[in-house]
Amino acid sequence: MKQLTIDVGGTFTDCLVLEESGQLQRFKASTTPDDPTLGFFAAVGKAAKHYGQTLEQFLADVEQIVHGTTLGTNILITERGAKVGMITTKGFRDIVEMRRGIRNLHGSMFDMFIEPYQPLVPRRLVRGVEERTLYTGKMLTPLNESELREQARRLLDEGCNAIAICFLHSYANGDNERKAKQIVQQMSPDTYVTASHEILPVFREFERFSTAVISAYIGPAITRYARKLQSGLKERGCKGRLLMMLANGLVQVVDQCVDRAVYLLNSGPAAAPYGASYLGGLHGKNNLLSVDMGGTSFDVCVVKEGEIPSTSDSWVGEHRVAIKMVDVPTVGAGGGSLAWIDSLGLLRVGPQSAGADPGPAAYGKGEEASVTDADLVLGYIPADYFLGGDVKLDVERSHQAVARVGSKLHMNASQTALVMNTTINTVMANLITEVCTKKGHDVRDFTLVAGGGAGGIHAAAIAKQLSIPTVIVPRVAALMSAFGMFAMNLGLEYARSCARRQDKLDFAEISGLYEDMRRQARDDFASIGIAESQLAYKPSVEMRYVGQFHEVEIDMPAEDLNADNLKALLQNFHTQYEKLFTYNMPWRSAEFLTYRLKVTSASRPIQTAVLSGAGTNVETARRGSRMCVFDGDAKPIETPAYDWDRMAPGHKLTGPALIDDKTTTVLVVPGFRCEVDAYHNLLLRAQ
Amino acid sequence: MATIDQITLSTVWYGFQSLCREMRAMVTRTSQSYLISTLKDLSVGVWLADGSIVAVPEGLPVQFLGTSFAISSIREMYKENLHPGDVILTNDPYHGGHNTHLPDWGYIRPVFYKGELLFFTLVRGHMMDTGGSFPGGYFANAYDIIAEGLNIPPLKVVKKGVLDEDLNKLIFNNVRFPVEVKIDTDAMIAAGKFSENRIIEILERYGKDTVLASIHQMLDRTERAVRAEIAAIPDGTYSGESATDDDGTVLDEPVTVRVDVTIKGDQITLDFSRSDAQRPGFINSVYASTFTRAAAGVILYMDPALADFHNEGSLRPIKVVAPLGNVTNCRYPATVGASPINVGCQMLEAVVEALGKARPDRSIASWGKHRGDYTFALDPRTGERYVRTTFDYDGSAGAVWGHDGMTGPTHLTALGSVQRGSIEEAEIRFPWRMLKLEARPNFTGHGRWRGGCGMDWRAVNEGSDGRMSSGSSDGDVVQGKGALGGQRVPCARTFILRGNEKIRLKPHRIDPVKTGDIVVKLSPGGGGVGDPWTRPADRVAEDVANEKITAEVARLVYGVVVDPATLKVDEAATARLRSTPPTQRYEAVINEETLDIEMKPLVPQAEQTT
Repeated sequence: MKQLTIDVGGTFTDCLVLEESGQLQRFKASTTPDDPTLGFFAAVGKAAKHYGQTLEQFLADVEQIVHGTTLGTNILITERGAKVGMITTKGFRDIVEMRRGIRNLHGSMFDMFIEPYQPLVPRRLVRGVEERTLYTGKMLTPLNESELREQARRLLDEGCNAIAICFLHSYANGDNERKAKQIVQQMSPDTYVTASHEILPVFREFERFSTAVISAYIGPAITRYARKLQSGLKERGCKGRLLMMLANGLVQVVDQCVDRAVYLLNSGPAAAPYGASYLGGLHGKNNLLSVDMGGTSFDVCVVKEGEIPSTSDSWVGEHRVAIKMVDVPTVGAGGGSLAWIDSLGLLRVGPQSAGADPGPAAYGKGEEASVTDADLVLGYIPADYFLGGDVKLDVERSHQAVARVGSKLHMNASQTALVMNTTINTVMANLITEVCTKKGHDVRDFTLVAGGGAGGIHAAAIAKQLSIPTVIVPRVAALMSAFGMFAMNLGLEYARSCARRQDKLDFAEISGLYEDMRRQARDDFASIGIAESQLAYKPSVEMRYVGQFHEVEIDMPAEDLNADNLKALLQNFHTQYEKLFTYNMPWRSAEFLTYRLKVTSASRPIQTAVLSGAGTNVETARRGSRMCVFDGDAKPIETPAYDWDRMAPGHKLTGPALIDDKTTTVLVVPGFRCEVDAYHNLLLRAQ
Repeated sequence: MATIDQITLSTVWYGFQSLCREMRAMVTRTSQSYLISTLKDLSVGVWLADGSIVAVPEGLPVQFLGTSFAISSIREMYKENLHPGDVILTNDPYHGGHNTHLPDWGYIRPVFYKGELLFFTLVRGHMMDTGGSFPGGYFANAYDIIAEGLNIPPLKVVKKGVLDEDLNKLIFNNVRFPVEVKIDTDAMIAAGKFSENRIIEILERYGKDTVLASIHQMLDRTERAVRAEIAAIPDGTYSGESATDDDGTVLDEPVTVRVDVTIKGDQITLDFSRSDAQRPGFINSVYASTFTRAAAGVILYMDPALADFHNEGSLRPIKVVAPLGNVTNCRYPATVGASPINVGCQMLEAVVEALGKARPDRSIASWGKHRGDYTFALDPRTGERYVRTTFDYDGSAGAVWGHDGMTGPTHLTALGSVQRGSIEEAEIRFPWRMLKLEARPNFTGHGRWRGGCGMDWRAVNEGSDGRMSSGSSDGDVVQGKGALGGQRVPCARTFILRGNEKIRLKPHRIDPVKTGDIVVKLSPGGGGVGDPWTRPADRVAEDVANEKITAEVARLVYGVVVDPATLKVDEAATARLRSTPPTQRYEAVINEETLDIEMKPLVPQAEQTT
């Protein structure tokens, strides 16, 4: 039987089919924003057609579908979510609107002319009710049920179709929130109700409330979509399992994720590092920079020793999302990024993007010069074979757009295009440096795995700037997220906050918390037919030195914590702390705050097919040549172009060279050579 | 000098900006000070060897824009005796430290490359304690600056990479919470070392000449852009003034800062000569600190597109005049404890008011004043002493041209770069239980663009009896101004509810707090910009719907008739009401009996003080 992964992105819906032989087939359809299930089935339809089957015949032979979608992120960014009401502890109505300060993390302090934060739930839809729990978990004031009913009625009458229940210290004791949720659900069974401790049972109210509100905001649409997809697949005879890709790098069945909709944010990009990690593994590399350059953004993930990092410090636009997400920092750099001249007279590229509409000037609608236009002017992109010839490019239009920007700086079109190309590469290289050095790593110890439709053109140049020795451009580069979804484990994460110093730890209490989380995990997995014997548990704890405000996550021992293994854990904390911050304080007492448990059920390892070596000369794959301009020399050089489909393992090239494919183009810059590996990926190495 | 291509220029520049952000992030993640870690009361930057600012993307202006002065005196003091691995500490406003007040400790590191001194880096943070009469350095009635805390002139605490144990022992023996202060010290020194490594990497990659040429070119480009912005302001002299409630020693007597801003071509001069003379109380400012306020005020009026770049080039066209002995240029040993906020905030407000007259389209109203305190008592859960301070009880931002002010505790002095803490975290950490943190309707400066909402903060003391210093809080008497007919900031109040008693706590005082006391802080939103009578009616109705203002205020202050039941605007009645200017203006006033916010006929400030 076949396995499918489907990634619904902003522009394209990517579908990968893994045959039992290990062969991968790639399909792309346009994303249909109004009803993304249409694009989903269009992509599957293309796959069915490839096998000469009807959609029903094809789906009958599918064992499992892993699905990532930008739906949640798009709803949030375009603010088209539910009408959310919030019920909170009386006297604390403005926690979300106040945030932690007047700016999110990215604004300059010298810019006062900014619009105040508009929370997803306006003040009139935030209602306080009498109740109070303390940080110890003790309930000081039980929920005033009649007041709750009254306030909930108000919100329902206002037309709220989603309600977030957010009480202080609910992470320590969720009883009041639970009761409130029950009552609201009884009052209105069709309303999407979420309680903050169920989404993120961790202390710090702004972060937890904001996350719960976001979950409620995207919840109804996510539920509708997931249910529609589920029934659509069933109607078409699919008996395979549908798994959703989550922000934390795990996959889950639909029933388990509709109540935690916020986990579907960033669901596509979170997968790419897993694909990179798999491909790196084929070459014995486990220090990887997984990058993905699409139309508007450039994502980076630093995979150190095979470990995919996660973070709980994310923002989506102006909104704070505090769940743990795969740490994929992003910057506005992509094929559509536009050139402009700043107030100091410097040429800048991005973060504004031409997007899908109007798109780069070359597409025939837009006027402004984008990175794609610059790449076209430089000869890197084939005007006649962009996306396999599906999109015709207007070289003359690109030329004019680029020349217009350049004229302001007294540069001609190809000089300007070169500066644009290098500038965008620098923006991306800087993000890599920043992300990497923040974690204390040297970029030169890493291998770059280049995904995204535009990644192939820019990867080698970025590597050259950063002295990164090796670049892998996967055969599936343009469908990197979809590929990563093959490597996902099924899983869920649990957490409980309980703040105690190392000398005041109550081992029985901690064992109790873990027993509670394991019980919940057993129930959750049993409900989807997975037995406990198939589960793997990974416990960890977030801790800090007494007095600090930020935590470091440390692995917990597999067995219950006791006086003996506590010593080893503390030692590990001091070591990890020093690794992160260049010093530590073993003389200082540590504080334990949040206990976490990650529960996974391993997926079947993927096997991609090994291809036989080349019997032929690489020149048999030659499809022509283009006049290209490269760094440092404005004179165009005739550069050979090859057809990736016709290249075979063992084929070697020396830069400058171009490798074209129906989904992307790869540029081997001067000073780099290229080799096709046994899996049809390209390895680019500095000479 | 090497010729620099566009790419190298941008790359080098971005490198310096990003290393500053990383330095700040590193200290906030490792620090144990609430101020540094959660509130981000911390600044970092890079300077050239001659003291020119290279990059100052993040922090509190007062903590770092004036570091050039300290670097000049360090060079003069140490001459050839600066070496790789040296770290210089200073918190002294006088004696070459040019610092604002004692709790802000700055760690300055000279950065050498191939034996040549090329840069200085600074990490400066607000420490938990700095010795002196009362924890935290906000002792209102100190005899002189020696009584305010440890005075550390620029001194090497680390020499060629080796810690001076004796000196450190002396320092840490004279602060409260020495372990905690030491932790933050280590974090700040480590961040300095980190930035040195990053700077050397940049120098290795691009070469010294290229890096320096790139920096000089950026300074020149920024200077040109800032001069062009100044040139666009009509020539003339514009004045502004603002006052603090009192100086903490001579009570209930406002202290006024006045500035005359003269624009002539592409030059700007800010003259503070007409300000009050220096005071016995702790609200004085040294020149370097005054300079930073003036510069920050000017920078706010520059094109926001320049916001990410500011450096020495931005400061070159700016001249600041403040005669010695003035409250804006105090003479040793004047006390300065409250200086970052009083009269720091007043200086910024005065500059902003003056420039607003020159550029009405970039008007900025005053913000709610700081309502902070330092509370010092025992935590019965641990039996340990604690000191608590936050910005969580401050009011909200004022309006600017084109935008309402944001709701949330903040104040203008820090340009909104400090952060609110977490209620849950604070309850775990301090023996105070929060009763309320919520906006109060109407409690703001109304305007075409209005201030953010005023705040109501209440907590009960579950710890021991102790003392509370209202420190640099302000705004009980003197009200920050609105702009272009926007309303001024309402007055603030703090009370202790003890049984049936209601005790008012004024700013700049130290008062006892007892177990079971409920502290109430009513902290107004910021001022408005533009006449509230001209605010679009639908925005007014939206504020009524969101219970940010009442229907009564919509009518009285905004001239908009909103049906309280349907929340719809009565267009005809509104048009009638707005056809003439209001006969009486009203502003929000706290009823000290009921603690309600009431609307009272507006009395101009001049009449009020006489």
